[in-house]
Amino acid sequence: MSTPTHLTRAISVIAHVDHGKTTLSDRLLEYTGTVAPRDMVEQVLDQLDLERERGITIKAQAVRMLYKADDGNTYQINLIDTPGHVDFSYEVSRALAACDGAILVVDASQGIEAQTLANVHQALDHKLTIIPVVNKIDLPQGNPELVREEIEKVIGLPAESVIFASARQGIGTKEILEAVVHRVPPPTGDSGAPLRALIFDAKFDAYRGVVTYIRVLEGTLRPGMRIQMMQTGKSFEVDEVGIFRPDRTPVEDLTAGEVGYLIANIRNVRDSRVGDTVTDEARPAAEPLPGYRHVTPMVFAGLFPTDTEQYEQLKEALEKLQLNDAALVYEPESSAALGFGFRCGFLGLLHMEIVQERLEREFNLTLLGTAPTVEYRVRLRSGEEVPVDNPDHLPDAGQIEAISEPMVLATIVVPSTYVGNMMELSQERRGQFLNMQYEPGDRVVITYRMPLAEIIHDYYDQLKSRSKGYASLNYEVVGFEEADLVKLDVLVAGSPVDALSMIVDRSKAQQQGRRLAEKLKTLIPRQLFEVPIQAAIGGKIVARETVPAMRKDVTAKCYGGDVTRKRKLLEKQKEGKKRLKRVGNVEIPQEAFMAVLSLD
Amino acid sequence: MERIHSLYLHVPFCTWVCKYCDFNAYAVLEGLIPPYVDALSREIDVAGAELPIGPLDTVFIGGGTPSLLTGPQVEQVMDQVRTIGLAPGAEVTLEANPSNITGANVEGWLAAGVNRLSVGVQSLQPDALRFLERLHSESDALAAIRMARAGGFTNVSADLLFGVPGVDLAAWLETLESVLAEGVQHLSAYELTVESGTRLGQEVRTGLVHMPEADDQLEQYWSAAVRLDAAGYDHYEISNWARPGFGCRHNLAAWNYHPYLGCGAGAHSMFRLDDGSTERRWNVKGPHVYIKRASDRGRAHDGSETLSPERARGEAAMIGVRLLNGTPAAGDFPTERKQLVTAGLLIEADGQVRLTRRGVELANQVGATFLV
Repeated sequence: MSTPTHLTRAISVIAHVDHGKTTLSDRLLEYTGTVAPRDMVEQVLDQLDLERERGITIKAQAVRMLYKADDGNTYQINLIDTPGHVDFSYEVSRALAACDGAILVVDASQGIEAQTLANVHQALDHKLTIIPVVNKIDLPQGNPELVREEIEKVIGLPAESVIFASARQGIGTKEILEAVVHRVPPPTGDSGAPLRALIFDAKFDAYRGVVTYIRVLEGTLRPGMRIQMMQTGKSFEVDEVGIFRPDRTPVEDLTAGEVGYLIANIRNVRDSRVGDTVTDEARPAAEPLPGYRHVTPMVFAGLFPTDTEQYEQLKEALEKLQLNDAALVYEPESSAALGFGFRCGFLGLLHMEIVQERLEREFNLTLLGTAPTVEYRVRLRSGEEVPVDNPDHLPDAGQIEAISEPMVLATIVVPSTYVGNMMELSQERRGQFLNMQYEPGDRVVITYRMPLAEIIHDYYDQLKSRSKGYASLNYEVVGFEEADLVKLDVLVAGSPVDALSMIVDRSKAQQQGRRLAEKLKTLIPRQLFEVPIQAAIGGKIVARETVPAMRKDVTAKCYGGDVTRKRKLLEKQKEGKKRLKRVGNVEIPQEAFMAVLSLD
Repeated sequence: MERIHSLYLHVPFCTWVCKYCDFNAYAVLEGLIPPYVDALSREIDVAGAELPIGPLDTVFIGGGTPSLLTGPQVEQVMDQVRTIGLAPGAEVTLEANPSNITGANVEGWLAAGVNRLSVGVQSLQPDALRFLERLHSESDALAAIRMARAGGFTNVSADLLFGVPGVDLAAWLETLESVLAEGVQHLSAYELTVESGTRLGQEVRTGLVHMPEADDQLEQYWSAAVRLDAAGYDHYEISNWARPGFGCRHNLAAWNYHPYLGCGAGAHSMFRLDDGSTERRWNVKGPHVYIKRASDRGRAHDGSETLSPERARGEAAMIGVRLLNGTPAAGDFPTERKQLVTAGLLIEADGQVRLTRRGVELANQVGATFLV
């Protein structure tokens, strides 16, 4: 069972989204017999229904494979599958920190993209050996040779190190495995040293509590040990340690270099934070592993039950979801328009969407989400600084000395034809141009410093649509910067709707107000009466639109045979209305609260 | 179960299925009429023996085009109906296409016991008749009404359609005027409705046909209402007007939420159960299947649903508010009633409610309010 250290490898697969990372992982599992072909479902490693449906990876996963190489040795290869989306980049960085090598997957038709570069930089930061793979070589529109050249010129990996593969057809699988055992170095940690294990994910299991995903870098982990989390300081007694094959399989111990899990009666994932170091309480390590970062939410939105009676259920659902999602934060919020709900903090837009979808699906709730916003730092005249994550809570203009907003460093990779469009878009979004670099394969890497608030407002969709889908984006938050911002309010039927307020750049406020009113006019369905929509800045109306009253809704015939059908039709209409939120007398659909996101 | 005093008989055959029609109707199957009449009689026989039914106050033979049945065929069916028991003065309606109204048929139908004829005039504008794919001419339609009256029908109703593309207000009122001049006792005026599964639906979807604006449709509707009121017709249901005493008793029973038995292909029945719940039941739609099942077993049920007493009350109110002289059916919904009165859609008086003018225009919104 146990493999000598020199035959152990730990790798990750990194790629831009949709380049075939998970399919390639599936092939590796199949080829090494880790999963029998008859048990093979697509995306074995994506365990959430949502992951399989959306074809994305949300949580990191780990699996141990045994591979009999051409040299006659049987190697233990630990594969860590990481989330591909920028929202989860910290999770990716921790997963990489737990590895010695990385398989870099690049799509033969798409070539190098923004996240490919970001991933490579991260992998190099962790001093990982990179095995470049050009995937999807079976696609007719692919150009593997050109992509291989790009890899050499843009990333600096020798062209001869590139492996051609088709994960879909199983081409190149063996070559990749051989490269892993020969190119990736074995772990160097000492199994006799004080324990240091890196947490790269954690998951809540209803029966066992938190299952902590770890890689032991030094020392040995056994059941019965008392362990301590070096960042949080909390200690626990280990019940079980084990490996993933790919189901959880208990083992006697995990030694230096091995990847697996521990179960220690931990009740909340908050006590098992990604990036923290697990050590032996009796014989603690002197230093934790480097790179721990407290993950903070970047995007905030209100979640409200459309049926006010579901408030308690929503509260319980959030509690349960948080057990499994340390990045999710929430606190109660009450809105004059939407009633009682929660202000939630997320890592990014995808994270937000996923949380809302899981709440609705797994807990059978109907929710209304308000438009996401960033957290502003407001310096008051009194000298006090307050964080504001809800536009409606922005203090009166008279009290404000200055407002700062979070900034990101955005990297766009795009074919040269679209450079003009990308620059125009980024300029519109208050971007400060930093750099532009032409790379082989007609690729341009452009960097901008811009407000995160602009990124979450439809920037990515615009980027895609203005580049015919070719542009890719990666960004990281780099700090706060002062800006001239004002609050834009919306009045529906004369009453302010707090959940529609937004904080915008002063110079664009009036235009945004007009667009928002126009947009809301198309989104708010006709009511029994006329509904005026107004946008206001500091109490001054800057735009007005009107939704005309419903003119006619009457069925001509309602005889015996028509009744069932008619009743069902009206019932369905009524059911549809439950998705609308009643604000005063007006029924407003969910999309209206998201209207501020796409005003271009 | 509440005793049943109303019977609906469906005849699904048509010479031509008009492009706006989404009823259970079939063209080129007229050859099936003789076995269909046999099957229908068998179903009436079996249902009559099983259910608490009769004596019947109303019988309504609808379609399709029931006037494709000859006098003797209607008689065969009516003979079977009479075994259930027909109350003295019962209303027996037959829906008739003007093309089928001949002297012989009128005589035969009357002899079979039919005493109310509902004539599908639809329009008297040649362009509109063509658009609607009606096979009769405008003069055929008027001649048919005259022939029915001359042949002995003293209770004649005409069906009209308004809001037809290409027919303006003046042309519509002209049609109405000509029909009124024939002295009909009852008149139904329906807004031409675009149903998604029909050829008209297809034409509207693809932009081939443009339906009139809501304002124009309502103008035709209310103008007709004013004219009919002046002519002494009572606007008793959203799409129905009658001279005093000539409201369609069969439909009134259904709108007042009394039970009825439906026989024939695709026919619906409604039963009121003792605990206040409602059972709705419907037959298979296809004539071939219907004939086979009804002939073999005397039954042709295809599905049913039972509404809890609470839901049944909601449904009763949904239907009841369409009666413009008022209904007690919304009695169990004080909150909803108040809300609708405040919104200007309902008027409350003497423990009954009725729709306001705006309420009529938004009758579905009102009806939906009562559904749970």
